Amino acid sequence: MSDDPVAELITKCAALDRAAFRALYRDTSAKLMGVLLRILKERAEAEDALQEVYTRVWLRAGRYDPAKGRGMTWLIAIARNLAIDRLRARPEATSDDGLDLVQDTAPRAETRLIAMGEAKRMTDCFAKLEPDRAEAVRGAYLGGLSYLELAERHLVPLNTMRTWLRRSLMKLKECLDQ
Amino acid sequence: MTDTPLSRREEDDAEAAEYVLGVQDLAERSATEARIKREPAFAIMVTAWEVRLEGLNDDFAPAPAPDLMPAIEMRLFPAEARQAAPARVRGALWRWLSGAAVATAMVLVGLALVVPPTPSLVAILATADARLSYEVRHFGNELQVSRAAGVQAVAGRVHELWLIAPGAAPVSLGLLDAPDLVVTYPRPPEGWTLAVSIEPAGGSPFGTPTGPVILTAVIGADI
Repeated sequence: MSDDPVAELITKCAALDRAAFRALYRDTSAKLMGVLLRILKERAEAEDALQEVYTRVWLRAGRYDPAKGRGMTWLIAIARNLAIDRLRARPEATSDDGLDLVQDTAPRAETRLIAMGEAKRMTDCFAKLEPDRAEAVRGAYLGGLSYLELAERHLVPLNTMRTWLRRSLMKLKECLDQ
Repeated sequence: MTDTPLSRREEDDAEAAEYVLGVQDLAERSATEARIKREPAFAIMVTAWEVRLEGLNDDFAPAPAPDLMPAIEMRLFPAEARQAAPARVRGALWRWLSGAAVATAMVLVGLALVVPPTPSLVAILATADARLSYEVRHFGNELQVSRAAGVQAVAGRVHELWLIAPGAAPVSLGLLDAPDLVVTYPRPPEGWTLAVSIEPAGGSPFGTPTGPVILTAVIGADI
């Protein structure tokens, strides 16, 4: 398990090891803060969410199974879910900066992914999608865009966006699972 | 584009993918979250999508995070924190409670019975007329919650159990949609509060209570 130090720390948290909990915060809070800021866009709310994330991490550590995924993947899933729940609960469901975000991040995601040998397959699979659909998938995952926001950005009806995205996801799955 | 209908399994997989991607609206998300809690096979599909898309996580650039560990520890381990700042912490707790609809409920508090080999009573949450009550016991590494009287929430609603550390926001322990709920959790310290709220089916979508709080009990409080 030494190739996944984060997983090791989470496992220790499950055994109520508070020193491990502090080490986990020290080693992973900047990454999770990056996730929360990217989706929530407001620092005060992101900081509040960060506290909630680590509270959940401690309380749920016993449910983490290193056999099912890397530690950081598990942490980011908790952070993303919390951030998206909060985003969807906001009174105004649409944000104006979503479009900028999608266009701004897509090329960087591409470059960074190419740099990583392990993630090259992901880049290849994204490349098989039509560019605007690949962008929609990225915008949703990284920026927290909803179906409604994606439909507005891409000027298509909501149901069309849903069909697009579902098919894109299944294509991605087929490609990634090969 | 050909429109062959998806099989049940494909539908489930698409729902899991949409959830992980985060594109659903609030109601859809909360319905999917309820399925994750209820259906282990579906939960596995969700985890598979989390792992499948993890390559995208590299694009989240780290951002400097302040040291929030003291606040997090105060929330999780208030025994030590209480010694540090008792008045403020208590004040915050009661502010939260007075904001909730505690007027409709009477607080019955069970004191701990210190007998290790059997489940020990942590608290009783009951309405004034005792027509609805939940008993919370601690045993080993588990909190066992059982409904001692009354029935679950009406269709479309659910009772959700919350644990509130002094001065902190409520943390959900789970949904009380069956007679018994078992949660892996250490014994909550004295001074923490248990509460039950009425939430939409699937539980509160926000991570904090949204419906009326119908029952509360302060652990170890001598009222």
